[in-house]
Formats: sequence, C-alpha cells, structure tokens
Amino acid sequence: MSSVHGIPYSQLPGITSKIALAPLAPVTLFHDIYEFSGFALVDSGSSGAVISTIIAERLGIPWKKIPILEGYSVGGTFRSHRVENLKVEIFGHSFQLSVSVVEVLSPYRFILGQADLFHQAKITFEEYKKQFTLEFRKFN
Amino acid sequence: MQKPINFVKLLKNYRKGWVAISDDFQRVVFSGRTLTSTQKKAKNYKKKLYYFPSGEKYGNFVG
Repeated sequence: MSSVHGIPYSQLPGITSKIALAPLAPVTLFHDIYEFSGFALVDSGSSGAVISTIIAERLGIPWKKIPILEGYSVGGTFRSHRVENLKVEIFGHSFQLSVSVVEVLSPYRFILGQADLFHQAKITFEEYKKQFTLEFRKFN
Repeated sequence: MQKPINFVKLLKNYRKGWVAISDDFQRVVFSGRTLTSTQKKAKNYKKKLYYFPSGEKYGNFVG
C-alpha cells in the first residue's frame, strides 16, 4: 500500500462559471455498526472535521442528544455537536478522529481539517496544477 | 495519480438529492431525494458506493 496519493482537484458545478474546482478525497467513516462513504473537502482553513446532521444520522449518531457548542467561522456563528473517536479510512489508511456535527452545513457536507487529516499526512496543495498530494506518516 | 472526478458530468442529470457513485468514481449507480432513500435503493448492491449531494452549486464557497 503506497503512502503517497496524488489527487486531481474535482470538478464541481459552479454558479457564475460552469465549473468549480476543489480538493476532495474519497473517505469512509465508521461508527458502531454503521459506515458512510463519501467525498470530503480537504480544507487547510478548517480547524477540524465537520459533517452534516444527515450524515450523522446515517452513522447512527444521536446528535440531538449531544450538548450544543457554539462555533465560529468566517460566515458567523454556528451550532455543533462534538462526537469523539470515529474511525476514518482514506486510501487504506485508518485513524481515529473527532467530528463536529454542524446543524446547517452547505454546500459541502463533509470536511476534513487541521486536527485530523493534517496530523496524519503531509498535504501538498498545488493549485497551479489543480492537484494535491497526501503523504501519510509512518507510525511505529 | 487518481483519475479526476468530474462531478459536473456525474451530477448533470440529477435534481436536488443524493447520488451513489461507483467505486471507480465514473458513474452514478443510484439516486434519490434523500440520503436515506438512496441508501435503501443500494441495500443489495455488493460493491462499495460513495454518496454525494446532487443539485448543489459550489462556485461561491469561501472557507
């Protein structure tokens, strides 16, 4: 299993232009007996992982029973619910992460950020090539 | 290098909802109005599927 993965930016429907480009990675989340596979935005500006309430429900996470936390982003405040120790798998590499279940999350429903993926891998963004590279760290 | 994923092409014919994408990221296998209904359609499908919302616009996202 290679620890280096080159990933071209994904083409997404835009608004004013026809195409938007974004660094998305195929990721699987596991919680109890449930799993969800989707595409996460790899976001160096995000402090940690976030998922939408819809994904949380499909993972069997009782997010409404988890205390509300006030969060802040460039767009203002948001309400979230913290979930610890989910298992995540990316290109055959597994690790544990904590996620914030955010009540209103759009258009991206799944984001990985500094507290999780950026601890596991060296991530190189090459905007000029429209690609990024994940180089997973080797842990003993 | 992974092949590029062209969501513009994949999602072109789908309204607001969710789609299930094949594990080679080349085609939509199932779709539905909700993630739950899409996953129900895929219940007996043996290969891995990746879920993604359809009918969204990403052009003005700032994050």
